Amino acid sequence: MWRSSTRRAEAPPISPSLTRATLLSRAAKGGAAIAVAGSALGRLVGTAAADPLPDGDLAYARLLVTTELLAIDFYSRALAAGRAGPRLAKHLRLGQTPAGASDITYLYPRGTFAKEGAIAAFALTLENLMVGAYLGAVDGIQTPPLKVVAARIGASEAQHLAYLATIKGLASFEAFPNPLTIQQASNALDAYTA
Amino acid sequence: MSKRSLALIAALLLGASLGSGGASAGSTLQPITVFAAASLTDVFPAIDRHETYSFGGSNTLAAQIAQGAPADVFAAANTAIPAALYAAGLVEKPVAFTRNTLVLVVPRSNPAGIHSVYDLENPGVTVDVAAPQVPVGAYTLQVLKQMGIEQQVLANVASEETDVRSVLAKVQLGQADAGFVYATDAKTVAGDVTVLKVPAWAQPKVTYAMAVVTRSRNQAAAKAFVAKVLSKAGQRVLARYGFLPLPQPVPGKPAMVGAADT
Repeated sequence: MWRSSTRRAEAPPISPSLTRATLLSRAAKGGAAIAVAGSALGRLVGTAAADPLPDGDLAYARLLVTTELLAIDFYSRALAAGRAGPRLAKHLRLGQTPAGASDITYLYPRGTFAKEGAIAAFALTLENLMVGAYLGAVDGIQTPPLKVVAARIGASEAQHLAYLATIKGLASFEAFPNPLTIQQASNALDAYTA
Repeated sequence: MSKRSLALIAALLLGASLGSGGASAGSTLQPITVFAAASLTDVFPAIDRHETYSFGGSNTLAAQIAQGAPADVFAAANTAIPAALYAAGLVEKPVAFTRNTLVLVVPRSNPAGIHSVYDLENPGVTVDVAAPQVPVGAYTLQVLKQMGIEQQVLANVASEETDVRSVLAKVQLGQADAGFVYATDAKTVAGDVTVLKVPAWAQPKVTYAMAVVTRSRNQAAAKAFVAKVLSKAGQRVLARYGFLPLPQPVPGKPAMVGAADT
């Protein structure tokens, strides 16, 4: 066993029912005010919600919730465009969660929703960004329970990325994905938000 | 209201100098005197060029009103200061009238090589900000805190200004490597500075509010000015200068600003 009994005793109480839908739903509710994004993520873990999170962790939470809100917006628009084939549409529905009011405007490259290929290409870009952002968060976040949450969500995003890559006929396991620093993730997100 | 309570309000709002304002003495005659946030310097005269304006930091103007300066209308770059004056009985119920966003500006030559807000953490960078009592200064702190880089960037702050136009001038003249201003201010010197985005996920809610000053002896003209700013024509001028509309505006029923609304 690599885990000592002490380490086991310190293990944070992570919600066993954490799913992408849960996160998106809670993120959407928190989306009306990004200021509460920290508590939206914090509610997914027991102890983290009880203690004030460091500013750096709250910054990560705001950034990650904004990427989730972008995903909600994109997936909803992509489905509404009616251009996705059955396999892609099935995937898009996984991310379609009603979003709350948001102060953020989402921007997409021209033609993003015009064809299935364009939708899938942007979905790949978005999932790459999310995988990188969550991997970076695992390193950058200080609060252990939130690190675990970020890792779990990052793993989920990686599955989405692999599925989308398969649809596009790309190799799913080309390389280890690179983590993005919060600055890199924020700069990437800047292209799609205002 | 006693002089003591006025002084208290001034101290609460300020922490800043209580210097004399630029308002004219006769507030009973046309044109009315409008005390307005420095960021409104260009757009208000474009909406109504007949009034007398005094532009400056919203907190300083509020203190001057608290001290009895002869203003007829007060327009601030936030909702908290007008709400505080309203609570003190110094202005009528404030009304929100426009919004703005914060941006980072660097000199065109960009000697410090700043390309994002995160670069402000770099050693040796000189950052210019408005004082925390000034709305744009408070918004700046909010951005830095929300990005988790408040302490690092504040260590590079070289100067604190009394209003947003002073921050802009310092950067424009190359006396600072970067500064936070409103997007509308940056537009006024577009050829001299480079505008960098503040991430959408860290943007503060910048809402402007205005109110008729209670002791104004020209209430009708003051109310007419407020109505003019809120009118479709007034809002069009604001938009032309880069200001943002209020969310979900209800025609004829502008959003009122309560004490709890900051």
